[in-house]
Parts: sequence; structure tokens; C-alpha cells
Amino acid sequence: MSTATIALLGQPNSGKSTLFNALTGLRQHVGNWPGKTVEKKEGTFTYGGTTYSVADLPGSYSMSANSDEEVITRDFIASGKADVVCILADSSQLERSLFMLADYAGLNAPCFLVLNMEDVAKEQGKKIDAKAIEKKLGIPVMMFSATDTKAYDKFYSTLERAIKEKPQINTSSLEKGYEKLNGYCEIKSQLDSNTPSGYTPMWLTAKVLENDKVVSAKLKNTLPDNKVKLIENLSNGNDGAIALGECKFAWIDEILNGAVSKTKTKAKLGKLDRIYTHRIWGKPSVVLTVVLGLLASFIPALPIMGIGMGINALNAPIREAMTSAGSPAFLTGIVCDVVIASLYFIINMLGFVFGVTLVFGLLEEVGVMARISYVFDNTMGKLGLQGKSVMPFLVSFGCTMGGAAGARVIDNWGQKVLTIALAWAVPCGAAWSIVPMLSTVFFGAGAPLIITAILIVMILHMWITAKIFSRGLVKEEDRYGMIMELPPYHKPKWGALFRYVLGRTKDTFFRVTKVVLIVCGIFWLLSFSSGSIEDSALYKFGVAIEPVTKIFGLTWPLFLAFIASSIGKEGAIGVISALFTGGSIFAATTGAAEKAANINEILLANVTRPEALAFIFAITFNMPCLVALAATYQEIHSVKWTAKIAAYYTLTALVLAFAAYRIGLVIF
Amino acid sequence: MKIGELKENSEAVVSGLNGDPRFIGRITSIGLTPGCRVNIIKNDKNRPILIYSRDTMIALNRKECDGIEVTEVRS
Repeated sequence: MSTATIALLGQPNSGKSTLFNALTGLRQHVGNWPGKTVEKKEGTFTYGGTTYSVADLPGSYSMSANSDEEVITRDFIASGKADVVCILADSSQLERSLFMLADYAGLNAPCFLVLNMEDVAKEQGKKIDAKAIEKKLGIPVMMFSATDTKAYDKFYSTLERAIKEKPQINTSSLEKGYEKLNGYCEIKSQLDSNTPSGYTPMWLTAKVLENDKVVSAKLKNTLPDNKVKLIENLSNGNDGAIALGECKFAWIDEILNGAVSKTKTKAKLGKLDRIYTHRIWGKPSVVLTVVLGLLASFIPALPIMGIGMGINALNAPIREAMTSAGSPAFLTGIVCDVVIASLYFIINMLGFVFGVTLVFGLLEEVGVMARISYVFDNTMGKLGLQGKSVMPFLVSFGCTMGGAAGARVIDNWGQKVLTIALAWAVPCGAAWSIVPMLSTVFFGAGAPLIITAILIVMILHMWITAKIFSRGLVKEEDRYGMIMELPPYHKPKWGALFRYVLGRTKDTFFRVTKVVLIVCGIFWLLSFSSGSIEDSALYKFGVAIEPVTKIFGLTWPLFLAFIASSIGKEGAIGVISALFTGGSIFAATTGAAEKAANINEILLANVTRPEALAFIFAITFNMPCLVALAATYQEIHSVKWTAKIAAYYTLTALVLAFAAYRIGLVIF
Repeated sequence: MKIGELKENSEAVVSGLNGDPRFIGRITSIGLTPGCRVNIIKNDKNRPILIYSRDTMIALNRKECDGIEVTEVRS
């Protein structure tokens, strides 16, 4: 059996991810490029006795050196690791999307061109003669529609042909344009021998004229000093870059001349876009879309959550069976309290992740995501983020783990981390399930005020956190405003989307389970006691540290409930209930145990109002839960940043508790 | 004039680009080069400006727009 490597290259919205998912399905691996914070997606598939490994090259608009993504992409291509590079372009916007091909021309790796979105182009009344383009370019060119299952046979045969023939782009007429530029011939003559492998002198010369720092540095290492000097004098900044851009588009016009016919239509916004881009209704309609999407995401999520419930239902029978079989309490505890309760907890939230990944993936694929970015560009830009970041924030009102999973649509790593870090400040569904109840118990009619205060603190929190974290995360060069296309809407490819979502959910499940089992295990050990609660390590720790935690307004049961809320907020009241009534702290933490019926009286008898206020703020703004922590790690692939965010939230929650307590002491 | 000064539904030709290399790289790669025709689709305050050029709807941040010089054409 033979093997081959193909690399997928294309601008954002060229349908690259759809093709990648359709080709590789569940055989995907997501990691990081070595030493870089750029996501690396690889996968495999088998066709005609050959196993292909596919590298999905990070999204970018060109082969310049403006971002890590672009440098990684072109280094990979030049390294010769790919047997063939599949370049994707959008048939409905052919002129613009062929820029990537024009910028590629001159790299040595064999390639072929896929004109995707054939269906959209047809709808727009465009006729494209792929054969004519193929003749001019000298590489295989095919029309393609990623949503059409029959199109894949054509794709595979073109791929096989490209691997056999090793075609390269005919660049002679492109170079004729280059040769008219000042300095091109002089620089190229210096490069004709002894150039870094993978690049042609033509490509390198063009990049030198574009003032490409990475290429200049490469040349400095391989060329003698006198030549480097000569070249530096000839390259001429911005004018060169603009002139080369003009050359490339002139070449594209030449290629497309006679190969594309279209009925001239005047550009205007469609009905949906008129609403989305509306000055007043734009934002509400985007928020409504996301909220409806979230509600819709519960439909696929429910069966998964049902499995979680089913697992929890096994808890009691298994416990009984183990006890009657004479298993020691310790072992029964590990199986029932740690393993089963943790799985119940994880799978419940996993349903949400599945739903959110599916709905967000869908919004991205049909083109709605670009509109969301447009509408929220200004607002999110103030936080150093992209417009898309608004989606994870909205999702986090439901579940922070879903928010973290939703941040996947953000293509810049630093902005993704910052988005997740800010999404943590949004109180999740679990917080909303206990905060109104606690507020009502302690403050009666004043509860709405507490909720309002929480929302105000949330906004301030996000603003301050953005200031603190953005310095290390969002580089000055990424703080650019939006320069982005709004692609035409197109149909999703359901099969590929589902397989992708299943794959991601599976990965999340395994990673999250590992973390949750370990941490829950430790927490359980600390809370384990053979008899009364006073025997547990957790109790001893809580009581010993109480003089300190009281400064923050937290008595030892409240502080232990605060610690437990880092694992899961829904359990916070249950933990207090367990501490005052002698139940299992651990079962209460994961929400698997019922709380005492008279919990309101227990709370009022044991907790003062300033303490309650401190506690409400402490748990609301504490880290959302252990599963969200693990999901954050899964998305950002950085232990350092995950730990930083977690520590920051634990600390700020205590600071907020302190402030709330002191204010409470003054008021009450 | 700057592209942001154009009114909705007007048509113009790009006459010049100013900015750092990264901006020039981004803006040329999305198809805005000197001589290229653009239609202004939407120009609302506090939103990116929406233009149509080379068969593509493009959203441009207001600040970035300052680097794009255009000459209006009467159609």
C-alpha cells in the first residue's frame, strides 16, 4: 500500500474546512504546529489503495509573512513534505480568490486547482470554463462543489493525476509582468544560483520587492554580504508590494479572460443581509440568531444528556449491589461517588458542547458567522477581540464549556484565549440556578438589585480582565480592524459537519474526563471520612484556614462550598446543606445528591447577610467549573494560560467577595 | 478622497494605498489594488463600511479605510 501527503491551501471561506472534514471524517488529529500557537489539523483517508495524509494549512489570504499562520503555511509547502498542494478558490468570487494561486506561483511544490462552490457560481449565472483555465495554468483545474457527493470521484481522480504528473504552474506570463517592475531583473540575477530550496528565484525576488522580512532574513543566511547589500538597496517598500499586487491581479484577469462569462448583475444586499447589516436591527437580529441557535442546539444535546441521566440512575443500584457484596466503603465511594458521579456530570455538559459545536459550525459554514463579525466588530474591537467573540459570550450564559468550545471559530490563537478568559466572567446556567434563589432567601425583594449588581460587575470584570490579559495575548499586529469578505450564503454539507462535530465532541470527552477524574478523585479523598464530617481532611483544612477566609466574609462552610464551586457551581448550595446536616460533600458537589428540604432555614440560621452577599459574589465569579477548565485547555492547548486564567479567577472571586462583604457590613 | 467619505451606492476607483506593510499585504490580497472599481453598499457610523469589489462583498473597518484613497466615478 502506498502513501501520499496532500496539503489543502485556500483563503478563508473557500470551503477548505468542509473539504477537509469530508475527506478525513473522524480520522482527524488537532494539535499545535511545533513551537507555535497555531492550530495544526491533520487527517487521513484511503482511496484506490493509497493512504493519504491531509494537512489543512492554517487559514490566510496570501503567502506573505504578515502572520504566524502564513509563515507556517509557506514553510510547510517549501519543505516539500506535501506530494501535492490542493489550492482552493471560490468560483463565485473567482477573480479575488485566485490571489492565493497567484501568490503561490513560483513555489516548487506540485499543485492543482479546485474551483469550489460551483453551485453558488451557477446560481449567480456564471459560466466557468475549467479546461480553458487549465490550459493557461498548466496544472489540473476542476470545478467542484463540496456539498455534492458525486463530485468527490472527480476530486480523487484529479488528485491521482496531480500526484503522478507533478504539475507546476506556468508562470511565464506572470513573470513578464514582474520583469517590468523596477529592480526585479537586477535582484533576480543575484539569486539565480544558491537559493533556499523549495522556492524559485522568481518567487523570492517578488517577495524581496514586497519587503518580506522573513524572506530577506533567509537570503541573508545563504547569500554573500555584497549581494545582500545590493538587494537591500533595490527593494522599495510599500510601492513594491502594491505594484506586485497589481501584477498578480493583471495575471488573474488574463487567465480568466475568455474562460468566465457572467450575466452582469448589480451588487446589492439580499433580504437577510439587509436585516443583519441594519443600523438598528443588526445587533438584535444577530443576538436572536445566536439565541435561537442555542435553543436549537438542545435538540441534538438532549439525547446525550439523557445518557448522563441514565448513568446517574445506575448510581444507587450499583452502590447497593457493592455494599451487599461486602465491598469496603472506600471502594464503593470511588466507584459511585467519583467515577459514576463524574461521568454523569461530564456527559450532561458534553451534550451542550455537541449542540453548540454543531450550531456554530453550521452558522460558520452557511456564512452567517461573517455577518456576526461585521455587526459586532466595533464593540468587540474595544476589548481587542473580533466580532465573532460575541458568540462564546452569549453561549456562556448557558454553559461556559459550550462557550469555550464555541471559541473555536476564532482563528487567532491569542484572541481565542482572551475570548475564553472573558467568557469565564459570564455567570453560567448553574450560577443562574442558585444565585436568584440565594438572593431571594437573604434579601427578599432586594434580589433583583443583586442580579443587576452581578451584571454590572460582569461587564466591569470583562473590561478589566481584557486590559490585563490582552497585553500578553493579542499582539499589536493582530489589533487590526476587520478586512474581511462577507461570503455568499451556501448550503451546509451535513454529513461532513456531523462527523466533524462528533470527532470534536469525542476528543473533548476524553480530555475532559481525564482531568475531571483526577481532580474529582483528589477532592473526594480530601472529603472522605469514615464517620462524621469532622474526620475529613477538607474539614480540618477549612476550619484551620477560617481566620483568613473570614476576612473575605467566608466562614468555613461557605469557604468549602466556594472551593467546591470551582468543581461545579450547581452543587454549592448542596455542599452547604451537606456541611450543616452531615451529608456527603462530594455527592453534593457534583449535583448528584439532593439538598435538605429545609435548606432555607438552615441558611438563614447559619449565615449573616453580609456573608451571604460575599458568598454570592464569590461563587458567581469563581472559575465556572472543572469541566469548563478542562474544555478551555482542550481549546487553547496551553497549560500555562489555562492555569493563569484559573488562578486569576480564584483570586478575583475572593477580592470581589471581600468587597461585597465590606459593602454588606456597611449596609446591613 | 478617502473611501470612508463616499456615500452609499456610489462608485469609485482605488487610486492609492497608504499604511504599513501588513495593511498593504492584507488589502491587496483581498483584491483592493490601484485601478480597481468599488461600489459602496453601506456606510453606517460605528460599523465597518461595506463595499463590493471584484465580485466580492467586503467589510472594512473604519480606521483601516483611512489608508484607501479613491476617486469617485459617475456612472
